[in-house]
Order: sequence, then C-alpha cells, then structure tokens
Amino acid sequence: MDTILSVLAVFWVLIIVSYLLMEKGLGIFGQVTRGLTMFLLEKALGPGSDLVEGRKGSGSMVWIIQGVFWLFISSTLTFIGLWLAHDPVALHSLEAWGYHPVSSELFYAGKFAALFGCVGMFIIGTGLHILPNLLEVNLASEKNAVLTSFAWTLSVIILVIGSQNNEIGPVNVILLGTGLNLVVTIAIIANQLLTKASSTVELATPGWLIIFGLIGNPIAVISVFLSGEYDSGLGQWLVYHLSGATFFFSSIAGISLYSASFGSGNPLWSRTVAGVVILGTIFTINPFGNSDPSMAIDMLGLTSAELILSHQDNVAGSFLMALAIIPIIALSSNILITLRGTDIFVENPDSAGIPEINFGAWMLLPLGVASLFIQTDTLSGTNELVGISNILHLMVIWTILIPLSMGAAIQVLPSVSGRYPLSQNRARLAFWMISAGALFGLVLTMMSDIADVVLIEASIEGQNALSHTLRKAGSVIFYGTVLGSIFHSTNLFSGLYRGSKVSSTKSPSETTFMIDSFPLTSTTTIRKILATGAVLDTKIVPTFESKERGNPTSLHEEE
Amino acid sequence: MTDNTSDKIGQFLQGEKEPSSSWVILVIGIAASLSFLVIYNILYPGQDLPVISSVLPMFEGVFDSGIWFFILGAMIGAFAIIGTILTEATIE
Repeated sequence: MDTILSVLAVFWVLIIVSYLLMEKGLGIFGQVTRGLTMFLLEKALGPGSDLVEGRKGSGSMVWIIQGVFWLFISSTLTFIGLWLAHDPVALHSLEAWGYHPVSSELFYAGKFAALFGCVGMFIIGTGLHILPNLLEVNLASEKNAVLTSFAWTLSVIILVIGSQNNEIGPVNVILLGTGLNLVVTIAIIANQLLTKASSTVELATPGWLIIFGLIGNPIAVISVFLSGEYDSGLGQWLVYHLSGATFFFSSIAGISLYSASFGSGNPLWSRTVAGVVILGTIFTINPFGNSDPSMAIDMLGLTSAELILSHQDNVAGSFLMALAIIPIIALSSNILITLRGTDIFVENPDSAGIPEINFGAWMLLPLGVASLFIQTDTLSGTNELVGISNILHLMVIWTILIPLSMGAAIQVLPSVSGRYPLSQNRARLAFWMISAGALFGLVLTMMSDIADVVLIEASIEGQNALSHTLRKAGSVIFYGTVLGSIFHSTNLFSGLYRGSKVSSTKSPSETTFMIDSFPLTSTTTIRKILATGAVLDTKIVPTFESKERGNPTSLHEEE
Repeated sequence: MTDNTSDKIGQFLQGEKEPSSSWVILVIGIAASLSFLVIYNILYPGQDLPVISSVLPMFEGVFDSGIWFFILGAMIGAFAIIGTILTEATIE
C-alpha cells in the first residue's frame, strides 16, 4: 500500500470515529468527562480564572482584537521581506545590534504572524461566537477563552522569534511555540465540544466545518505519527497539507459561509454544496500552501527528509489534489451566490467585512488551480515552478485566507462587542488598500519571480533590470497593505468605544439562521420575505405609518 | 436674481467658524521654517546649516535606504494603534 493512502486511511478513520463520538457521546463516561473537562477549563486555572470577568462574547472579542494586531505585524514583516528581496543590504545598519535581516527569514516570520497570529486568531475568535450561536447556547467557558487567547499570542511571538533563530542555546524555539500552541488548541477544542454537548439543536453545516477544522489539525499530526511516516519526505509533505486543509481551509469555509449569510441577510445558497465542502476537505488533499513543507517540519521538530515518491504515490497524490478543486469551487460559488441575494455589500452598516469575504471568494478558484499546478510539479519531481511557490503561498495568505477570515471576524465583532466599527468609509478604504496592495504588489513580485525562473532555465547569469524593477514596484505597492491594516486596526479599536451601538432588536440580516419575526413596512412579495431567512413559523409583524402630518409614526399598532 | 436671494448667498458664503489655534500655529511654523531656509540660502549661499548639518552625518550609513521611510510610516502606524487604544480607553 502506498504512503499517501495509508496515512490518509488512518486520518479518515480517526475523523469518522471523532464524528461518531461527537454525535453519540461517550455513554456512561460522558457526564464524568464533561465535569472533569469543565474543571480543567476553569477551576484548574486557579486564581488565573478570576482575572477575567467571563462576560458573554468576551472570549470571541479578545481573540479577534489580538488578531487585528497580528494583521499589522504580519503585513509589516512581509513588506520588509519583499523589500529585502530586491535590496538585501537595506537594513545592514541593524547588524550593529547583531541582527542580520534576510528576506526569506522575514517571509517566514511574516507567514507565522499571518497564519497563526492573524488568521488563526480570527478563525478561533469567530468560531467562539458562531458555534454557540448556531447551537443556541452559551459558550462553555468564556473565562478560559479569554485567558487562552493571551497564551496563543505568546506562542505566536515565540514562533516569530524562532523563525529568525530556531536554536537559542539548547532550546528548539519553534517546537516550544508549537507546544504552547497545541495546549491552547486542546483547550479551545474542549471548550467548543463542551458547548456542543450542552445543546440539543442540530448543528448547521458551517458549525461542522469549524469543528472539523479544529479537531482535524491534531488528527492530521497523529495520523502521520501512527502510520510511521513522520520521518519520510512524503509524510512531512502530507501533514503540512492535511493541517492546512483542516485548520485553515475547513475553519475558514465555516466562518465565511456563516458570515456571508449572516451579513447579507440571505439564507445559505445550498446546504448540499456546503456538505460537499466538508466531504471534499476531508477526503481530498488541499493544494494550497508552499511546495516546501519546512514550516510543518520545523513546528513538529522533525528532521527534513527528501521527497521521494513511488509511481503509485504520485498518481494518488495528484488525483486527490485535483479532486480538491471540487470543494474549492463549491465554497467559492456558495459564498458568492449567497452574497448576491441582495445588493447589500458595503452600503449597509451591518455589512462591514462583506467586501473582504467577496474578494476572498473570488480569489479561491484561480489560486486553487495555480496551487494545484505548483504541487503536481513538485510531486512529479519536475520542479520547474518551485521558484514561484513562495510568492503563490503569500498570495493565498493575503488574498484568500486573510480576507475571508478577517471579513468574517469584522462581521462578528459588532455582535460580540455591541458596537459597529467607527467609520464605514475608513473600513472601505482599508479594504481597498489591503486587497489592492496585496493583489497588485504580489502579482508584480510573481512576474519578477517568473522572469527569474525563465532566465535561470536559459542559463543567463546576472541580475535582470526588468525583474529588479518589478520586484521593487511590487514591494512598494504591498505597502498599501500595511497602511490598510493600520486603518482597519484604529477603526475597529475606536469602534469598540465610540462606534454606533448595535440595536438590541434583531434586524433581518442578523437573524438568518434563527429569524423569528419579520417587520412588514410596505408591500412586498413572499419571495423577498423568504430571502431574509424567514421560515413557515416566522411571524409577520405589520408596521404602519400614520398619514396625519406632524404626528409621530406608530411602529406597532394592534388591529 | 432678487436682492433677497443675494443676501442669502452672502450669508452662505461667509463662514462663522475659525480654525483651531493649534492648526494656525502649525501652519505659521511650517511657513516660517521654509522662509528661514530660503533666506539663509540667499544670505549664505553654499554654506551648511547650523546644528542640522553637524547632526545629520551621525545618521550616515544608518538610514541610507528608502525602506527607512516606509518603516518610519509603519512605526507611526504602530504608535497610532497603541495611542488609539490608550486614548479610547481613558477618554472621559
């Protein structure tokens, strides 16, 4: 049996067993396990748990706010990495302090900050609001959610430091960061599963995507270790892609599907297609990511091995990666069609974050196909496209993962903080700066990379002037992303204190998943009422206007 | 156009508010600095500026790449974020 299928078989079995346990429970051990886990989440923390109030929504808010910090840090690190790629001695004066900045190391730090700091915190923070909301219960432990956010931030700081210098004395810094990260992940999983266990409501598809995203990451690592392939190049490549498919792709699919529906006020376009995303995420190999799995290798503290494939592995890997285009298309189409139910977008104050989700959904398919070509090129051993793998990975991060996760987080933030962002105009400006800066900046850098690849193949030595100019222009344009992240940060932070308050009454757009009343202000069609998420049990509340001049409008008038 | 209408336009065109003192001082400061530089260049052509010309060489070899302008912008942004949090949290 070939390596890929043997690792995947273990992964699939563990995922199915986890699903059955979540659905059927642990039988007589269930109550004991719940009590013990709750004790570990709160009481076992000792005085630590008394440091925070545990207000409803506080866990989600703290995670999202820290994610916004990481957005700024990651964009700055990536910008410096892009600049040093065309001007390697730009920061040579820092050598006086013993720091030797190198472009590749700054990209690595930027990826850690973006993936685990920004995207990771947005995913977990948004999930902490969405899952209890879908299950119609409160989060099991808000206190634990708040406290673990700081431990997660600390783990990302350690990972960023480790990306610059992995060995400080006898300590493997990245492995230390991963360890802390794993502890927090387990706490979050326990918190979310306890929340699910306390509900009798059937969980909607986005909720399952979030759960599989959380549990899939440790299961992927366990699968590779159980199958004994952790020291082979193929096993390491596979764990990198399985972790990416679950924690990043599946979770982001869950939160962005929920937010697309929640923000636009339209019901999810297709539950079947959302189900295809779940199955496709688990039963295929996601092609997104770098062709070099060194990030996963460093995080697991493994020794890098050469990627050697049998013919069978090559066929199975390429086939399963080609199949991954199905969930990618399913996710993209489901988000885009859900959003287009009404022309809401940025005109409605409920909808800050929707343009980001729209942009990320558009970029899914082209970058999915491009990533597929890069990965199959690596698997086949051709390695002609390795030169653009890094920049494509950056494009996936900055034009898919960050827009989708940030859009969902911005959508959720008013619900948990009680206030909208301070300015819709600034939010729109920040969106354009981040998306345009990332897209055009990285496209120009990719053009430069392609030019370099072609010149190397033609055995032409020396620096190409056009390539150098493109790289320089790309880095300067990417600076728009840094500025956009500053605008987003100040806008969201000010909004927490001075933003307009979220109305306590539910507006139709906030109740897509649980609309219980619909205010009828004028003549409308049943189609439009159903489009807001109304069901057969939804009450239609007529709202009349007084036609007498100078009189107040009575909002509710019993006949 | 009647006289009455032109009166209204006159009222509309004449604003009643004044810029804040801080902005006035800032603009006067910038104008004064530029005037000083121009006059110094006319009175002492080709000569170095006092104090500034002796301080700038200290940074030679440090800020010798354009990236420092961008990093300066990012640093201002970082302080803007921290300042926003502090002021929003402590404002009355």
